[in-house]
Amino acid sequence: MSVIDILFRVDDICKKYDKYDIEKQRDLNATGDDAFAQLYAALETEIEKALLKSEAASIETNRAAAVAMNAEVRRIKARVKQEVPKLQKLAAKKVKGLSKEDQETRYELVLVLSDRIEAIPDASTTAKGGWVTSTSRKNIKFDSSDGDYSSDFFQESEESSQFRQEYEMRKMKQACKDLKAPYVSALSFNSMKFAQDQGLDVISEGLDTLKSLAQDMNEELDRQVPLMDEIDSKVDKATSDLKNNNVRLKETLYKIRSSRNFCIDIILMCVILGIASYLYSVLQ
Amino acid sequence: MAGSDPQKLMTKADKLTQLSLTRWSADWKNASVLYEQAANGFRVAKNYDKAKLAFEKASKGQEMLSSPWDAAKHMEAAAALAKELGNWSEVADFYRKASELYNECGRSQPASDALAKAARALEDAVPEDAVQLYIDACEILEEDGKEQMAFDLYRAATNVYIKLEKYTDAAAFLLRLGLAADKCNATNSQCKAYLGAIIVYLYAHDIKQAEKCYNDCSQIDAFLRSDQNRCASKLLSAYMEGDIEEIKRLSQSSTISNLDHMIIRIARKLPTGDISGLKMDAGKEDEPLDENDLT
Repeated sequence: MSVIDILFRVDDICKKYDKYDIEKQRDLNATGDDAFAQLYAALETEIEKALLKSEAASIETNRAAAVAMNAEVRRIKARVKQEVPKLQKLAAKKVKGLSKEDQETRYELVLVLSDRIEAIPDASTTAKGGWVTSTSRKNIKFDSSDGDYSSDFFQESEESSQFRQEYEMRKMKQACKDLKAPYVSALSFNSMKFAQDQGLDVISEGLDTLKSLAQDMNEELDRQVPLMDEIDSKVDKATSDLKNNNVRLKETLYKIRSSRNFCIDIILMCVILGIASYLYSVLQ
Repeated sequence: MAGSDPQKLMTKADKLTQLSLTRWSADWKNASVLYEQAANGFRVAKNYDKAKLAFEKASKGQEMLSSPWDAAKHMEAAAALAKELGNWSEVADFYRKASELYNECGRSQPASDALAKAARALEDAVPEDAVQLYIDACEILEEDGKEQMAFDLYRAATNVYIKLEKYTDAAAFLLRLGLAADKCNATNSQCKAYLGAIIVYLYAHDIKQAEKCYNDCSQIDAFLRSDQNRCASKLLSAYMEGDIEEIKRLSQSSTISNLDHMIIRIARKLPTGDISGLKMDAGKEDEPLDENDLT
């Protein structure tokens, strides 16, 4: 297993943990009591907004617009980063009704959150740092049962492919690091799209070949149908002829055998009589 | 088998068939059997000449025994040996005779097969005869309503025509293939045949003909709805605009790559001659015939 896979898996498992806690948070949110949960939910929405914006920025062909969007993303990131210490303090606070474990997980949640904020692409940093920080997490607990782990496994493949795309995008960013500029992410996204287009072209060519093959096979089979019918009728005729012949053969055999049996009987009788008379003459 | 044995068999069989004072009627039955054995012996001994002769006589014997099927089979064997000897006229003759005998049996498929074999054998040596044989074979099948089997023959004949550089004939043949395919509802083959015909016309630099052909074919529903139609229209419009890049790109496309290999080859060589003159629709047909890329 490569390091990348480990990274993906680790991220995913942690994310799964986040999901657990988010659910709890949402439940708590329903009660409206927990400040931590509320703040956390708010920060989550901010982060999502930022992610959407950064994606739009990378698709954007108009460079000026892309720059503007990236600037907004940076702004959101900064704002959220400011909120993080507050969140941390809230996490440290003891809330009644919350177990010790949950307390710890909350703290981790905060860390996760800060990493995620870092990881939002805004075309200013080399986001590789984002990956590094996510591996620094060390307290991964495996209290999930095997069943959960297997469901995780499937989830992983969808998300890990997303991560893979992101990773490649960032790799390309790294590669054109010298170009600097805010249009680096746009370029790399475009090249990713170009690669996708190429892949789709290959697929479409393959499909064309398949289609023509299928059509030719169709015609060939149509051609064979009357031939098969002919074969069918001829073979039927041949089998019926064979059956007739067999029946006739059987009859003749029976006849021969019965007459032969009769002859054999007679011959044996004569032999026995001969032997008897010889013995009689010897004894006499 | 030693060479003497078949020879002995031959002489024996000959004696059986010779009419003389002591023999009033030839014993074809035994003679045929002996001829066949002799022929096999000669074939094994690679004595093709004598084997061919023996097969001929065997065939004649079978004919006398009024079993045209066996006669035809022997004729075909004789023809195959004639092919080994490179005796092309005999090949054609023997195969034709075999085909007639098959027709006597009422079996059109083997008849056409015999002619097809002849044509294949003569493709390299005497292509004109080969083409004629292909045409005859196709006719036999069509008479019997077995057009489906004729497709391969049409394609082979087209290939020979293309090799002979008789492009109008080739295109005409492809259209005939289209017609046969139409009768059997083989739309895929039909569309491919029409596209092939258009390409052949374009290769012969007969743009007007190609257009006419395209217009004719567009009357046909099946072609109108097909991929090949789109490809043909794109090709023709590219020709009209004199867009060489587009033509080259289209000839690399998958639609053309699914056609017969000879047609693919000539499609890859498009455009022949100078097509910039075609931008004007005025009939400049005789313009670049000398620039034809007939390699």
